[in-house]
Amino acid sequence: MLLMAIFTLLIVVPLWNVLISSFASSQALNEGGFIFWPSELSLDHYRSVFQDKSLWSAFLISVAKTGIGVFAHVVFCAIVAYALSKRDLKGRKLYASMGIVTMFFTGGMIPTYLLIKSLGLLNSFWVYILPAMFSYYDVVILMNFFRDVPSTLEESARIDGASDWGIFFKIIVPLSKPALATIALFHGVWQWNDFMTTKLYVQNEALYPLQMKLYELILKSQAAAQTGLSAQVSIQTSSKGMQLATIVVTMVPILVLYPFLQKYFVTGTMLGAVKE
Amino acid sequence: MMKIKSMIGLSMTGLVAVALLASCGAKKKESTSTTKLPDPTYKVDKSKPAWQSDKSKDNTLTWYINAEWWNKKYGTDLITKQVKKDLNLDIKFIVGDDTKLNTYFASGDIPDIVTVLDPNTEVARTANKWALPLQDLANKYDPYFYDVAREDTLNWYKLSDGKTYGYPNYSNTEADFKSGKVPAKDAFVIRQDVLDAIGPQDFKTPQGFISGMKVIKDKFPDLVPFGFNDFSGGTSSLGDIVQDMLGVPVTNTDNTYYDRNLDEDYITWLKAFRQVHEAGNISDDSFSDNNDAFKEKMTSGKYATMMVAANVNQGNSLQTWLSANPNKEYIAIDGIQSTKGKTPTLSQAGLSGWMINYISQKTKNPAKAIQVFEYLLSDYGQILTNFGNEGDTFNYIDGNKEAISWTDTASKIQSDDLTKWQNDYRIGEFIQFGHDRFKAYNKASYVKAVWQQQEWGQKYLTPQFKMENISPDPGTQEARALSAITTKWQTTLVSLIRAKDTAEFDKTLATFKQFQKDNKIKEINVTRDKNIKQNMKKLEEK
Repeated sequence: MLLMAIFTLLIVVPLWNVLISSFASSQALNEGGFIFWPSELSLDHYRSVFQDKSLWSAFLISVAKTGIGVFAHVVFCAIVAYALSKRDLKGRKLYASMGIVTMFFTGGMIPTYLLIKSLGLLNSFWVYILPAMFSYYDVVILMNFFRDVPSTLEESARIDGASDWGIFFKIIVPLSKPALATIALFHGVWQWNDFMTTKLYVQNEALYPLQMKLYELILKSQAAAQTGLSAQVSIQTSSKGMQLATIVVTMVPILVLYPFLQKYFVTGTMLGAVKE
Repeated sequence: MMKIKSMIGLSMTGLVAVALLASCGAKKKESTSTTKLPDPTYKVDKSKPAWQSDKSKDNTLTWYINAEWWNKKYGTDLITKQVKKDLNLDIKFIVGDDTKLNTYFASGDIPDIVTVLDPNTEVARTANKWALPLQDLANKYDPYFYDVAREDTLNWYKLSDGKTYGYPNYSNTEADFKSGKVPAKDAFVIRQDVLDAIGPQDFKTPQGFISGMKVIKDKFPDLVPFGFNDFSGGTSSLGDIVQDMLGVPVTNTDNTYYDRNLDEDYITWLKAFRQVHEAGNISDDSFSDNNDAFKEKMTSGKYATMMVAANVNQGNSLQTWLSANPNKEYIAIDGIQSTKGKTPTLSQAGLSGWMINYISQKTKNPAKAIQVFEYLLSDYGQILTNFGNEGDTFNYIDGNKEAISWTDTASKIQSDDLTKWQNDYRIGEFIQFGHDRFKAYNKASYVKAVWQQQEWGQKYLTPQFKMENISPDPGTQEARALSAITTKWQTTLVSLIRAKDTAEFDKTLATFKQFQKDNKIKEINVTRDKNIKQNMKKLEEK
C-alpha cells in the first residue's frame, strides 16, 4: 500500500508542479526552486496564451487532424483487417508478409520525404491523414479480433441476403467496438501529440497543429539566449510561465477524452490479445 | 507448398523494398557551372549598391535557417518592413534542424539562401557542389559587394577552387580585435556586497582562491561560494575559458597543436578547484544543473563568485538580479590567473564567425540574393538591423555616425515591454550578417549588468584564428575518435574536481591520458597540425 502511494506520488507531484506553476506569477517563478504552492497566483500566462490568435487556429487543426485522422485510420485498417482475417482471401500470405516487412523496416526519413514530395503532400493538410491511414500493427490487432467473431453469424446474414459490405458495416463493426475504440485511442493520442510530420513536411503556419505551436514556443525561449537580446527585464509574463500554461492547455482535451474511451481500451486490449 | 509460397512472398517484398530504397538513393547530377547565370536587368555600377538600381518588382526568395528558434516572421516588424520596401523583396523564411536540412539536400529542393551554424559540417565543406561563388555573383550583379564584405573573411572561407561560397556573421578580423569594439565575454565575477564584506582576498593564486572561498562560506553560509556555467554537453566555463584566463598557449611555439587540457598551469588550478569542492564550497548541483537552472540561480544571486562564460547570453539574468538588488551586482575582478605569470588571452568569435550564409545554385533570382547579402552587410543595413530607423528608435550623438543612443520611446519599450521590442521592432535580432563593430556604436546594445565585465576583459582579447576549424573532417575515423575523446574529457573534468583526494585526481587524469592514446590522438593531432598550417597560410595570404 505504502509502495503504491509512493509510486502514485511520483506521478502526481510533477504534474501538480506543472499545473500550479502555470498559475504562478513571473516573480514567483523567478524565485526558483520546486513550487508546491506559489507565493503569488496569476492568470497572466493564460491570458497571453489565449491572446495568441494563431493558437486557436492551431487548436482547430489539431482537432481536425485528430478527428479525421482517427476516423480514416480506423475505417481503413478495419477494412483491410477484415479482408485479411478471411482465410480464403487470394494472396493473403503475400499481403501479410508485405505488412510484416514494413513493421521491421521503414523507408527511412529521406526516402519518405521524397515520396511525400512526389505525392504532392508537402504543405498539405492531407499529409497528416493519408500516410497515417494504415498501420500493420493495428491491422494485426483487429485481424485477431475479427477472427473471433463466429462465422455462423456471417453465414446467416448471407442467407438473409446481406452483401460483404453489409456484413462488415452492420455486423462486424458493431460487434467490434472495443477493438476499434482501442485503435482509435492509440491513433488519437499519436495524432494529437505528433509534431514531427509538421516539422518535416509543413511550412505553412496556417496548418500548424497545437503541438507544433508548443514546440515553437519552447524553442523561442532559447532565441533570446542565442541572440543575446539586450533588454532590461521587467515583463509580466516569463517564457517559462507561457510554456507551462501552453502545456496545460494542450493537455486538457486529451485528458478529458480519456476516461470515456478507457473502458473500451481495457476490454479491447484484452480481447485483441487473448485468442480462445 | 505453402511454405515455399510464403518464402517467395517474403523475398519478393524484400526485393521490392530494396529496389525502392536503391532508387531513392540515386544521386542527381548537379551543375556546378555559373556560366548559365541570367543577365542582370539593370545597369551594374561599381560605386552604387545594385539594390538601388534594380527596379524589378515581385521578387521572392526562400531563406532556410538551420536554427529552429529563429523568428520566421517577415514584413511585420520595423526592420523587415524596411528590408521588404528597399529591396522590393518578399522573403519566406524556413527553419529547421540538421534532419530537415538533410532532407532538403536529398530531395534537391535547396532554398535560395541557406544559413548554417557550423563551418565544420559536410554541407559547408562541400559548398562548391551546391552553392554559387560569391565572387562570380558580385562581379555579375553587384560589385559594390566588395566594398562591404571583408577581404579577410572572404579569404578565410575560400575553398580549394579559390572561390568563396559562404559569408559568416560576427566574423571578427584582427583589426576588429585591435579596435576595442569587440566585447569581452568571459570573466571571473564576484557579488559587490560579498567583496565589500570579505576584505582583501587574493583570488589570483590557487592558494588564495581556496582560502578566499572559505572566508566567503564563513561570512555568507547561505550562498554557494563558487559557481560556473552549466556542464550540459560541454566543459562549462572550466575548460577552455579557464585556460584562456590562464593564458595557456593555443599552439606550441612551432605552430603545432598544443594539448591545453594537460597544461601544467591549468592542472594546478584544477587541483585547486578540487580542494574548493572538497571543502564543500562548490555545490554538487552545479555539475548537473542545466542552463535554465544555472540562470535561475544567477537571477536570484545564489552564487557569491562565478566563472562566467558568454556573459551577454546571461545578460537577462544578471540584469534582473542587478535591478532588484542595486549595489549587489556581479563585477569582474582579477582572479584565476596564471601561476607562471602569463596574462589572460580571452577569446571571442574569430574569422569563422557564427552563422554562415550561402546562395544556392537552384536560386531563380541570383541577382536579388547577392543584393540581400550586400544590403545587410552595408553600413546602412547594419544600422537598420541593429538600431532601427533614425529618429524613430535611435539618434546619432552629436552628429557622430559611430555613436548612437536610443530614443526615449525606444528606450522605454526596451525596458518595459520586451514582447513588443521583439515582435514589433526586432532590433538586434536579425543577425545573419550582424557584426560586433556595429553593435559597439551603442553601449546599450548590451545590458548594463555586463558593461563592467566587458570593460575588464577588453585588454585581454586575443585572436585564436589559427585554431579555428582544425578538427578532422566529419565522417572520418579520426573525427569519431575525437568525438569520443571530447566526451571523455567532459566527464573526466567533472571527476577531477569531484575527486576525493590527490591520488584519485592523478589516477583519473592518467586514465584520460591513456584513453587519448587508445583513441588515435596521434593521428588526430597530425590532422590538426596540417589544418593549423593551412590556416596560417590563409592568414599570411591577405
